[in-house]
Amino acid sequence: MEYIAIGLICLAIAVVGFAEGMATTKALESTGRNPDAASKIRTTLIVGCALVETCAIYSLVIAILLIFTKM
Amino acid sequence: MFLSNIPIDSIIGFDLKYVPGEFFSSLLVMLIIVVLSIIVGIKARRVNPLERPKGILNMAEMLVNFTDKQVYQMMGPRFSSFGGYVLPLGLYIVLSFMIGLIGFPTPFTYWGITLSLAICTFLWIHFTSMRYKHWSYFKRYVEPVFLFLPINLISMWSPVISLSFRLFGNALAGYCIMELLYSGLAVINESFEVTFSYAFIVTPFLHAYFDIFGGIIQMIIFTMLTMIFVAQEAPSDEERLEQQLA
Repeated sequence: MEYIAIGLICLAIAVVGFAEGMATTKALESTGRNPDAASKIRTTLIVGCALVETCAIYSLVIAILLIFTKM
Repeated sequence: MFLSNIPIDSIIGFDLKYVPGEFFSSLLVMLIIVVLSIIVGIKARRVNPLERPKGILNMAEMLVNFTDKQVYQMMGPRFSSFGGYVLPLGLYIVLSFMIGLIGFPTPFTYWGITLSLAICTFLWIHFTSMRYKHWSYFKRYVEPVFLFLPINLISMWSPVISLSFRLFGNALAGYCIMELLYSGLAVINESFEVTFSYAFIVTPFLHAYFDIFGGIIQMIIFTMLTMIFVAQEAPSDEERLEQQLA
């Protein structure tokens, strides 16, 4: 039963991958439109991606907790 | 032999074989960085500043210049000496990922090491906040109203968890995939009785991705997040002017 739950947690990772892809697409589009702002866009993109990734990291924490603390 | 007669376990108080291998590779990385820094320091003291730098000194100068420029761009002139923390941190993260290439375990597959790195960032955030805000530092726990105190006390730890588990998860994922690949190749070799070697065609790309590329990306993200978290604790220049005028 726990393993099904751990597998379901991977859905969160799929959503995070989709969201990061969208963010990167928008960043590339705006870099193409305004190449002078590339460094600022890069900084914001890395911070935004890191914040989005936090969701996936929390799912990793929950998965580890489920694996090592079996009821 | 002579070394085995020394009761080293009774001297340090615990048995060495229970210490995870990640600690020793972490110490090795630190040793490499310290030795390089000492060499660069001695060379920098003896060199003629009017001549063109060469060799390791040139590399070190380029690194320091690059870090100082990045720190100035991200954090402003008030944190101009913060590069002294960022550069060793970045070197430690990159070398810790790369030490997996020569057979040592990557230090970040042990959660305590990444946790201590994240706690360093946490301390930087809070001490910077105390330094610039003095007693109004404690206002952050009761914003916007007093009812938010428990929520703020919990969300205070979110940078620690996210930073430490980001490094840990990346290192562990790379380690698990490489172990799976190696054991899978061993099974294939045994079951099909392969006599020639072909692993050197398959594995270097994955090693390059997980150990070098992943390490550099994680170093950039960790140092950038540290700089941004610390820089946003200090009031910006306009706020400072307003405080002085008020």
